[in-house]
Amino acid sequence: MRIEDISKKSDQIIKIRQSDLLPLPYPYNNPEKDTAMRELSSDQRERYEASLDGVIGVGIQRPSSKAEEELFIHKFLSGLAKLFEKENNWTFLHPLYHSLEYCVKCQICNDSCPAYIASGRKEIYRPTYRPEVLRRIVDKYIKKKNRASLKLTGSDIELNWTLIARLGELAYRCTLCRKCTQACPLGIDNGLISHEIRKVFSQEMGIAPKELHEQGTVQQLKVGSSTGINPRALENIIEFMENDIEEKIGRKIKIPVDKKGAEILLLHNAGEFMSWPENTEAFAIIFDAAGIDWTLSSETVGYDAVNYGVWYDDIQLARVATRQAEIARNLGVKKINVGECGHAHKAMIVVADRVLTGDLNIPRESALPILRDIVVGDKIKLDSSRNNFPITLHDPCNMVRLMGIVEPQREILKKICPQFLEMEPHGVDNYCCGGGSGFAIMQSMNFPDWRSAVSGRIKLKQILEVFQDTISPDVKKYVCAPCSNCKGQIRDLLNYYNVWDECGIFYGGLAELIVNAMIDLEKPFIEWEWH
Amino acid sequence: MAKTTLGGIEIEVDEDGFIQEPEKWNKEVAEDLSKLEQAFPMGEDHWKIVNYLRDYYLKYEIAPPIRMLVKQTGIDLKTIYQLFPGGPAKGACKVAGLPKPTGCV
Repeated sequence: MRIEDISKKSDQIIKIRQSDLLPLPYPYNNPEKDTAMRELSSDQRERYEASLDGVIGVGIQRPSSKAEEELFIHKFLSGLAKLFEKENNWTFLHPLYHSLEYCVKCQICNDSCPAYIASGRKEIYRPTYRPEVLRRIVDKYIKKKNRASLKLTGSDIELNWTLIARLGELAYRCTLCRKCTQACPLGIDNGLISHEIRKVFSQEMGIAPKELHEQGTVQQLKVGSSTGINPRALENIIEFMENDIEEKIGRKIKIPVDKKGAEILLLHNAGEFMSWPENTEAFAIIFDAAGIDWTLSSETVGYDAVNYGVWYDDIQLARVATRQAEIARNLGVKKINVGECGHAHKAMIVVADRVLTGDLNIPRESALPILRDIVVGDKIKLDSSRNNFPITLHDPCNMVRLMGIVEPQREILKKICPQFLEMEPHGVDNYCCGGGSGFAIMQSMNFPDWRSAVSGRIKLKQILEVFQDTISPDVKKYVCAPCSNCKGQIRDLLNYYNVWDECGIFYGGLAELIVNAMIDLEKPFIEWEWH
Repeated sequence: MAKTTLGGIEIEVDEDGFIQEPEKWNKEVAEDLSKLEQAFPMGEDHWKIVNYLRDYYLKYEIAPPIRMLVKQTGIDLKTIYQLFPGGPAKGACKVAGLPKPTGCV
């Protein structure tokens, strides 16, 4: 297929066939053990744009009139023009411009893309396909290059509703993992191009996956958290955690909330409170045992580290980050530490640097080095034999590839997990879990199937490969993923392929493993029945 | 949003079948939802879970953490999956008339 085919009307550009997908190791080398993606209903196809790959992530509704169709095209083009204006895109103009201008199409990046490889190399998922579509639109409609010469050089494209809608969906088939960027000899950031397309859709056309916008940043700013946790519910959940801690470790710990002047404001992804409270409990136990001066916040937005804006909307990103920094300033803490949440690391520690100025520019760090100092510095007594089961480590793209936080988690695991095994590739060369950039929380229609069958498939392959020697379900194994989003995706992957029953593979965070190794615990902290 | 008939009344549901008008929920609605979730007929434990979810939601405007649900009802996760094959979030919460869980959960 050719680049320009994206604007030609057809039922579906590609079809994802089970037989095309990346082969998996034992026991999934048996096709009967594989799982097929759900097809969309005819009603869903009618209402939403689904002609890209038969998958709906964004849910772009068809126009009901010619005028609506024209307005859609107009808004896209005017929004696109803004991406190239300094006053409208001072955050990302430079890398966007660089990435559109200098790609030499060597395709060296192709093998980095989890979706492209796992799909059986479907052209539309090639990491250079989407950027090339955008490049051609920009050349013709923004830079207004000579049309005859565009035709002569074979770089023409016809802009219409179908193309724009498909491009909007296609911006959500890239997990923004930026492994392709790392592979590029020129530093072309194809992930950023997906991000910029998402921005035009959200900021200029009012279109974004509802899980990221309406139920995500909007709900977070209004209610307090994208999970819907309001301050009253938080109070109830903290009480639950305190009781749970007492039951598990035999002593009561008071979780500090709104402690003025504390050294650290700890920001957890609020999904942890809802789905993995053992992670937030583990932090409380470790910090208490190590004598760390820390606090949580009970202010709306202050108890949820997430900032989905980093995936699709600069304005929402700034609103959330500013609110979080204000809360830290008002508490008078020395610094903010982000817990096991990858995108919050990127949003709060890296990207927010462009918006937090003056007294809002509070030191912002990862919590991983604190855990490392506690474990490696022998601040608490640990016994590695308590973690004597095969463990592998997933590297969250935002912490590891983007920020270079590679070693703290490894130093911890090497010290407390005698059967620690590295996946291949790992560290900054890791593959995304397949749930990056919001995919792990996009739960509607058949999108969850796509992220398990396609974008997450290479991660499953890596996990199965590293555990091949002990693949029997009789041996319990643990995938450590120090990121809520990755953890949710890995949970869904393991369920989709029934991996617990087939192979005995469980998943969880990092802090839990530390507590599990604490010598004064009577019973194990890790509870395997939560698979 | 689509409309559908549950428990004899017309209710708005989202793409994945979660009701959008929680105030219209009643036992008959729950039973019809349980049919869609392969959780029919509903026995004592089904109701124990649904009622706990419902009460928590009315009090806190959110579903409880799964660990809390298990602890407070005394029904373990494996049994919840047997009762509601869709699981606690997508199955039991749907039958209880709660909105679809959101955020990184």
